[in-house]
Amino acid sequence: MEKNLNKNLFLQQFNESDAIAYNKDFTSGISDYNFQLLDNAYRNTGRVYAKLKLAIDSNRCQEETCAYELAEIKHLQEAPQLSLDFLSSLIAELSVTGDPNFDLNNDSKYTIANSIISAKPGFSKSDGYNVYLDLLQDGAQQIVFIGPAFEEPLVINNTALNALAESNTSLVAPTPDINKDMLRLLTEVGIFSPDMVGENGELTAGAKITQEYVIMNPDGTPDYEIIDIGNGKGRNILKYDLDKIEKKVTPFINAEVAGLLSSEQDAVAAWNVYISKGTSVEEDDQMAQNANAGDTSWSYTEDLPLMQDKKVLFEKKYKEYFMNNYLKQFTTNQLPTVQADAAVFDLAEAKKAKAQKFIDDNNL
Amino acid sequence: MAVSAIIGGVSSIAGGLFGSSAAKKAAAAAAREKRRLQGKLNRLEKNRQEVINPYEDVKSLSSMITNPFANLGVATGAAEIKIEEADISLANSLDTIRATGASAGGATALAQAALRSKKGVAASIEQQEKSNEDKAAAGEQQMQRAKMAEEQRIQSAEAAGKQFVFGATESREQGAIDRTYGELQAVSGAQAQAKADQTGAMTGMFGSLASIGGSLLKQ
Repeated sequence: MEKNLNKNLFLQQFNESDAIAYNKDFTSGISDYNFQLLDNAYRNTGRVYAKLKLAIDSNRCQEETCAYELAEIKHLQEAPQLSLDFLSSLIAELSVTGDPNFDLNNDSKYTIANSIISAKPGFSKSDGYNVYLDLLQDGAQQIVFIGPAFEEPLVINNTALNALAESNTSLVAPTPDINKDMLRLLTEVGIFSPDMVGENGELTAGAKITQEYVIMNPDGTPDYEIIDIGNGKGRNILKYDLDKIEKKVTPFINAEVAGLLSSEQDAVAAWNVYISKGTSVEEDDQMAQNANAGDTSWSYTEDLPLMQDKKVLFEKKYKEYFMNNYLKQFTTNQLPTVQADAAVFDLAEAKKAKAQKFIDDNNL
Repeated sequence: MAVSAIIGGVSSIAGGLFGSSAAKKAAAAAAREKRRLQGKLNRLEKNRQEVINPYEDVKSLSSMITNPFANLGVATGAAEIKIEEADISLANSLDTIRATGASAGGATALAQAALRSKKGVAASIEQQEKSNEDKAAAGEQQMQRAKMAEEQRIQSAEAAGKQFVFGATESREQGAIDRTYGELQAVSGAQAQAKADQTGAMTGMFGSLASIGGSLLKQ
């Protein structure tokens, strides 16, 4: 698993870097991408088609009914359309390996295959790679990738790929855009008023949690926390009822998680790329360097379908990720909405006044 | 150019293939998004939080309302003492009359005085009883008013509770459900569009199909 991850990481960094452009051996050599998939696959089909047709027309079929010949002709007639459909599906699948938030725990063979099919430098025929499209006897088709980075040929059958597509599964798991999802989720958890949501469906720049979640004094004024901003000066900041906020947002987070878990391979990708380590958004942006979840990652071959304990863990960590990376900024260092209370003041005086108020309020 | 070399056939096929694959990727993404939203919607609908009615535990206290004047006792003790005193006074006076040999007319006068005294006592009791009845009636009236006020309070609380539950449910769960449903509708549209794009890209390529494998389809 670690070997695969490192291989993917290397391929990603190799494809993203410009290093190969400065490699003299590469620049002086030939890069032959003339794989000619379709030409090679259909090279002899014209002759085969003619033979079959001739056998039928001249009553020289294997059997009296010409069943074999008719079936073969049907396969050949359908083959070009099947090939195009197969190749376009395959290209769509493999292109996921080039997504910016691609989970490196996916099988690295697909990353190599994508490098070949998209003519990436270093993956040409001259570099020892090749691809074949085979038209099989039963009408199915298969594509075979070979080359130095493969330990064994990568073979993909069109019927298998179709079956996966039909069941809404994929060869390569795409990673959900957690950042987009969580920015949208912020507007849905019910702690911001609707007028704080912009036309793009995200919170506006100055969005604040509604007053309902601010901790108040018995007299109805906000119970501020005083922070030291240096030079003997201080500022008031709002205090939030975090328990109340958590109770409010949890059902919405759980619904979001239920949605994600409706496609478990997507959830695994989200876990590996974002959730597992409890990293910050900034760290996730540099995930290529961090090798994603690493030792805490889940395997597509061993951990699917997800067991209940993993689903529970996913829900817990997803919530933590949301709370720490997205919600926390709205509950910390928030200045008062009342203009007068937002001003900078003398810290010593303020502390004295607060102590006096406490004494007065409690008849001490 | 390199991509055309990889695929082979005429160059329009390679271009069409990549267009079609992009549409397929978009369609798959839309299908995933649809599934995600459906899962989310199901969870929202299934796990609608029960909205607590803050007035639910309000109970009628009308059974505790009683008429404090309902069973007022008449102060007969003092009246009985008064009667006893009158009887003792009469007995003493009769003894004095007998001892002094006073006339029978004096005794009659005494007896009449005693009778008057007892009548006065009876009148006092009657007056007390009348006063008590008045107080009991007034108390009863007050109690009925208090009971009605309490029942009205309960009815208002029940109505306010129902209104609260309705309002809270409407503004919270339904909002989230409606929003998710709207997104689901939108993504279904996106999915349909992606499939149409895919079909369009494939149709474009079919014109070049004859070139695959030479003149295969023409033979």
